[in-house]
Amino acid sequence: MLVLKNSGIDLTKSETRTLLGFSLLYSFLVLVILGVVSFLYYGFQKDLMLQDKRQILQNYSNDLIFRLKDLHIDIDKNDIYPRDERFESAIFDSSKKNIFSTLKSSNIDFKEVIYLSGNYIHFINEPESYYLGSKYVIIEIPDDGIWFEQIRYKIAIYFLLAFIFMMFIGYFILRQVLKPMRDALHLLDRFIKDTTHELNTPVTAIITNIEMIEKDDLDEKLLKKINRIEIGAKTISNIYEDLTFITLNNQIISNNENINLSTVLTQRIEYFNSLAIMKKINFDLDIQENIFIFCDMKKITKLIDNLISNAIKYNKIGGFIKVNLKDNILSIEDSGKGIAKEHLKSLFERYSRFDKSVGGFGIGLNIVSLIAKEYDLKIDIKSEVSIGTTVEIKW
Amino acid sequence: MVRFFLILLLIVSSLYAQRAEDDIYETNCIKCHSKLPVSIDKYFYRYLLKYSSEKDVKKAMFDYMQNPTVEKTIMAESFITRFGIKKKTNLSDEKLKEALDIYWDEYKIFGKLK
Repeated sequence: MLVLKNSGIDLTKSETRTLLGFSLLYSFLVLVILGVVSFLYYGFQKDLMLQDKRQILQNYSNDLIFRLKDLHIDIDKNDIYPRDERFESAIFDSSKKNIFSTLKSSNIDFKEVIYLSGNYIHFINEPESYYLGSKYVIIEIPDDGIWFEQIRYKIAIYFLLAFIFMMFIGYFILRQVLKPMRDALHLLDRFIKDTTHELNTPVTAIITNIEMIEKDDLDEKLLKKINRIEIGAKTISNIYEDLTFITLNNQIISNNENINLSTVLTQRIEYFNSLAIMKKINFDLDIQENIFIFCDMKKITKLIDNLISNAIKYNKIGGFIKVNLKDNILSIEDSGKGIAKEHLKSLFERYSRFDKSVGGFGIGLNIVSLIAKEYDLKIDIKSEVSIGTTVEIKW
Repeated sequence: MVRFFLILLLIVSSLYAQRAEDDIYETNCIKCHSKLPVSIDKYFYRYLLKYSSEKDVKKAMFDYMQNPTVEKTIMAESFITRFGIKKKTNLSDEKLKEALDIYWDEYKIFGKLK
């Protein structure tokens, strides 16, 4: 098992979700604020442009009113509406009824004096006397759009710059907020790494030495004691392996090879046999020989270990464990307490435990699911309360 | 045959009705105004200049006809000093409104400009 040093902390799913949620919310808020600011700036620039045109339009409207006055006087002789090349125009009576119009945009807002109507600028003037009944004189000129062309890129660039700047600020805020949590995680991570490392050497020493003892020469009493020591040491070793796997999960590089699963399985059952004997549990083996799997040795061992140790841990005294290995399928059946249906869904969640009567961290099946995910193995769990549980691994 | 006469009667009677409507304006308005030096359309454009919309113009004319006063007139002071205020109308409200409608349709600007 290769371990990459100095890599970052593995943030668990919920923490990542919190971070993502914060980032999304922050980005959304920044976008809304920048959007509002951009809109206000756009409105301001539009008003500036309209104010610029106002004087010209005022002159045009005065001109038109003057000519309307002439037409009003001579209406019995002349009925040609005064037109001008420079602008289009319309006249409306006091009930806003159209008297005559040459306007190209008929969208008229009588509440405004000067405004944009589509691609046209409208200016509304109210003459002192209503020549030909016209209370509202509307002047229309086309909007060349140059002003918008100029501010469009400006808005886009400033929007982008401000957004990037706000994102930077957000990143620093997030770092500040997360610092205590990161520090705590670092501390915990280092503590676990150091502890587990320090534990490994003595535990391995105990196990190796017990295995070296010639057990046939011992009297029964001593053999029992030695066996208990062995079980204890193996349990510690197992917990150690689990903790290392969990803390270093993201930093383990798989060293995949073609593994004879039949041999490995037999070896692991042998390893756990002393634990099973303690609870008077019988192994019922049906292992087809020479079944191969392309996998990391440590990881597949970890997967088998967790399934077998669970089968022993939650079994009843004098129960059985049936282990079946065939082509592409491994099944481990126990005669234990079983798992209630409602718990099956959250079985693989880290630190989830349903039976507190036996010790454990609730990480075993989480490790199994992590390994299964990596190698695309399908886990199928069938369980009946107080009858037993069958775990099937297919690949 | 009977049907033919009935239809003929209907057409003739509607024509008479039309003439009767025109008559209200002709006999009650034009008759007197034609004697004045200012033609009747000039009053209309003075009303339009001050009241703008059809509703406001008709209302102002109606009010004035029912109760003509110096305050309400739209004519120049010199005109009033020379010709004075007209007499109160003796037409019923309905007939007066009919006459005003004819007057409006005769001189309104809508649809007349080119």
